[in-house]
Amino acid sequence: MDHFIQLVFSGLFVGSFYALVALGYSMVYGIIKLLNFAHGDLYMVGAFAGFTVLSAGAGVLGGGLLALLAVMLVAMAATGGLGVLLERVAYRPLRSAPRLSVLITAVGASFALEYGIAVAFGPNPEVYQMGVSDGTLNVLGARLTYAQLAMTAIAVVLMITLDTLVRRTRTGRAMRAISQDPKACLLMGVNVDRVISRTFFLGSALAGAAGVMAGVYYGKIDFLMGFVIGLKAFTAAVIGGIGNLRGAVLGAVVLGLLESFSVAYIGSEWRDVFAFGFLILFLTVRPTGLLGERVTERV
Amino acid sequence: MNDESTLRAGEEPLAYAGAVEERGPANVALGGRGVATPAASGRTTAGRALSGVLASRWLGPCVALAALALPYLNSSTYVIQIAVDALIFVMLAVGLNIVVGYCGLLDLGYAAFFAIGAYTSGLLSTRFGWPLLATIPVVVAAAVLGGLLIGGPTLRLRSDYLAIVTLGFGEIIRITANNLDVTGGPNGLYGIPGFGDFGLRSDIALYWVTAVVVCLAVLFAGRLGRGRLGRAWRFVREDEDAAEAMGIHTYKVKFAAYIAGAVFGGIAGVLFAAHQTAISPPSFNFLWSALILMAVVLGGMGSTPGVVTGALAISLLPELLRGAENWRYLIFGLLLIAVMIFRPQGLLPARTGEARRRGRRVRGGAS
Amino acid sequence: MTHIRRGTTAVAAMALGLTLTACGGDLTGDASGGGKSSATLKLGMLTPLTGSSAAIGPYMKDGAQLAVDEINAKGGVDGRKLSLTVEDEACDPKTAAAGAAKLVSAGIDVSVGGYCSSATLPTLSIFDKAHIPMIIPAANSADLLTQQRHNVFLINGTGIQQAETASKFIKAEGSKGVALIDDNTSYSTDITKRTGDQLGLLGVKVAGHQSVTAGESDYSGAVNAVMDSKADFVYWTGYYQEGGLLIKQLRAAGYKGRVMVADGSVDGKLIKIAGQKNAQGVFATMTQTPQTIPGGQGWVAKYKAKFGSEPGPYSTQAYDAVRVAAEAVRKAGSTDGRAVTKALEQIDGFKIFSGPLKFTIQHTLTVGGFDILVVKDDAFVLNK
Repeated sequence: MDHFIQLVFSGLFVGSFYALVALGYSMVYGIIKLLNFAHGDLYMVGAFAGFTVLSAGAGVLGGGLLALLAVMLVAMAATGGLGVLLERVAYRPLRSAPRLSVLITAVGASFALEYGIAVAFGPNPEVYQMGVSDGTLNVLGARLTYAQLAMTAIAVVLMITLDTLVRRTRTGRAMRAISQDPKACLLMGVNVDRVISRTFFLGSALAGAAGVMAGVYYGKIDFLMGFVIGLKAFTAAVIGGIGNLRGAVLGAVVLGLLESFSVAYIGSEWRDVFAFGFLILFLTVRPTGLLGERVTERV
Repeated sequence: MNDESTLRAGEEPLAYAGAVEERGPANVALGGRGVATPAASGRTTAGRALSGVLASRWLGPCVALAALALPYLNSSTYVIQIAVDALIFVMLAVGLNIVVGYCGLLDLGYAAFFAIGAYTSGLLSTRFGWPLLATIPVVVAAAVLGGLLIGGPTLRLRSDYLAIVTLGFGEIIRITANNLDVTGGPNGLYGIPGFGDFGLRSDIALYWVTAVVVCLAVLFAGRLGRGRLGRAWRFVREDEDAAEAMGIHTYKVKFAAYIAGAVFGGIAGVLFAAHQTAISPPSFNFLWSALILMAVVLGGMGSTPGVVTGALAISLLPELLRGAENWRYLIFGLLLIAVMIFRPQGLLPARTGEARRRGRRVRGGAS
Repeated sequence: MTHIRRGTTAVAAMALGLTLTACGGDLTGDASGGGKSSATLKLGMLTPLTGSSAAIGPYMKDGAQLAVDEINAKGGVDGRKLSLTVEDEACDPKTAAAGAAKLVSAGIDVSVGGYCSSATLPTLSIFDKAHIPMIIPAANSADLLTQQRHNVFLINGTGIQQAETASKFIKAEGSKGVALIDDNTSYSTDITKRTGDQLGLLGVKVAGHQSVTAGESDYSGAVNAVMDSKADFVYWTGYYQEGGLLIKQLRAAGYKGRVMVADGSVDGKLIKIAGQKNAQGVFATMTQTPQTIPGGQGWVAKYKAKFGSEPGPYSTQAYDAVRVAAEAVRKAGSTDGRAVTKALEQIDGFKIFSGPLKFTIQHTLTVGGFDILVVKDDAFVLNK
């Protein structure tokens, strides 16, 4: 039983990382129907932005939770800004272009970000100099570290903040409206461009936050770290019903749990085969994802 | 989600783009280059000359001749090596063009069929000693089977989901090849024989075999696209519901495109196995699928000359940038963005030639 | 449309005619490079400069360059200067094959590269056709040798030799259950498989075998499996990037047993990533390096002075590959591939980092030269 609970915890923890990245995927898809392939790389850039801040302010910042939050805020602002820039430079000029062209720009942007970082920081992995406490505690016989708890808590807070933002604010309402009917929004005087920029900012900032969290928790960052998690987040977003925010989180948690259990019972080398195989079977049974159609609200 | 916002992968612009266009000049002021005017309007003389060349019936034979004559111009090992790589890539791009360009199905795991072809022929030739030529029927069968397995349940899905399902399929094939012993695990299969050297230098012999096969494949794909089935594909791509209403069995038609693409990929895999002599899972990763797709879109979806050009560019560009190390993929990425911004319909889009032909067809009372 | 087809057929027929008349020219002979000059001895190296293993390339390149400069400073080989051409293999078979072809066309005399086994395999036939001897510094899969090409030499210890050293040590440590973890690449699975076999022969229980995916950050699945299997010894055979994370996560999960890593993980970064505290006492199987052999510090100092960074994985092997190539050419008295191959087979007692060099009949090192290292403070030192 404690073994079972341990697997659940591992799955939830990994799932919360997937969720932060999947949210950005889903938001952008919901509003402009674009699969932003560079999204995973924004996560990577976030990790490197945090690394730069940490290295520059090593003496000043110290090592507590407050320092972590400060670094995260700077990194979120940086990746958010980068996301807006990306949309402005690479995606906005292509709005009237065939849909696949934009996809290609996104792949191009992904290459440019990855290798831009490789050129700037060198291909060697970098190590975060910020340690997190080693303390652990036992929950129902399973082992949890304080670091894991802190990370999960931060992720949950971020998700709730986003959810509130989308549900309660004017911008959030505009986002939902655009995803429903962009044409009507223009007629109603919504500044579509500005809302799209804000969507990119939010999604990218979340990915950046996840990047810093990964850097702090795992300790190692490299320029290709965004690729695998980008793929997984994409899968999670689709399982949840792409374009649906709560669906993205749900999908991420489901994916995290699935992976955790498949590693234990099938073997880690078959994990991705299992995850993608499940995805294919699942989509043939429920093509719109877990929350794809039931919920009308979309961002 | 209502129908208007469900967009098919094709020529159709983003949902609100239409709305943005209605706003007209105000938007240009707001969004800078917000509205790209379709390239068709205001074509220059140079553009007209280019489209004249593209529509010429001599273009295909001239390119084929150039391809076949290459070893007379430069026969260094390196040139032949990357030329074969490029030709195989052309074949892949032309195959994927059937799926994505003609039929508008977004396939992100096309390398799966490439892998199926390479591994099937590699297995039969190394483990069972078959001559490579004899493996081709089995490869075709295996590719069709793969297409049935993955296309069968998923072609009914919305196009975005099709993208992720095919992506997953590509990863499943690669990881399975990596995990099984019969496929040689992570090291893959090696010592794969060629087609024979016909008394020539072995790499040159393979070059000519590849060149002939790829030329025929390009020709065949082009004809397929112009034929009855090709028109059905385009119809499905432009408007699936209208196509259905006009009596086209859209599911069957999509299936046909998917299977045709699978067979092209499988045969390209055989050529790849013969060329590399050793195949292993890293050759069939997602990056590879993305690059093939990029070639199709960069060249111009649905346009055979465009796709061939795109494939040559994508395949040869990283080689030309060799030595730039990490810079080369950075430049590659930036170039892709730049090309797409300034020519979103691709380098040589299908439109120009097609409009003319369409006009002719109407006059002739065909279709 | 029929016009097009007819046109193409005619063109194809013409081309075939041309082909037949051209027989006997350059197109029928052996593949060979553009003009081999006798003024310089050209060495070529394939190493990953982009892609997931891009971090390794500079280490190998600098190691080789150091040897080239040293030999040139002493007047070269029989008056010929050495030159080194480096091409990217990206750990990708297609890129590697194209790179090999480029090196052949550039007219290199000896290949001193090869990092990823799966990327090196397709280059074998290309170098073989051009009769270029290959001294492979890093790739060490047994699959490289099963085709019995006469021109392929491995100067890195093989997976079998490493597995032997590892399993003997594990047995001597008295382990009750060993967990083997690899990263599902050929280099890594080769070692785990062979270590598993060896341990079976020695009567040591293998408690579990996991394969993780390189390039990820979370290895809790493998960690959970290790904890469940009650293993008291973990042998990681992948690279340092993942190795560091694995050690960190094992310790965080409360794993108290011993950990050993294979040569791909022997890098200061492993200790940094795992955290110095977690990495203390981690063992490693490694060929002898300047850091561990007496008098090697001078070499490290030279390397650092030249390139401004510590040598890394395979710097020494790349350095040795160049020296062995130069030695073989000197002995052969020519750069002819067959003569150099013969000279390589006859080399006996030439000093390289792993000990006196003599190739076995399979063209591997007679003495693998694997030692057990242990992490002490912030470095790997010889385990005594």
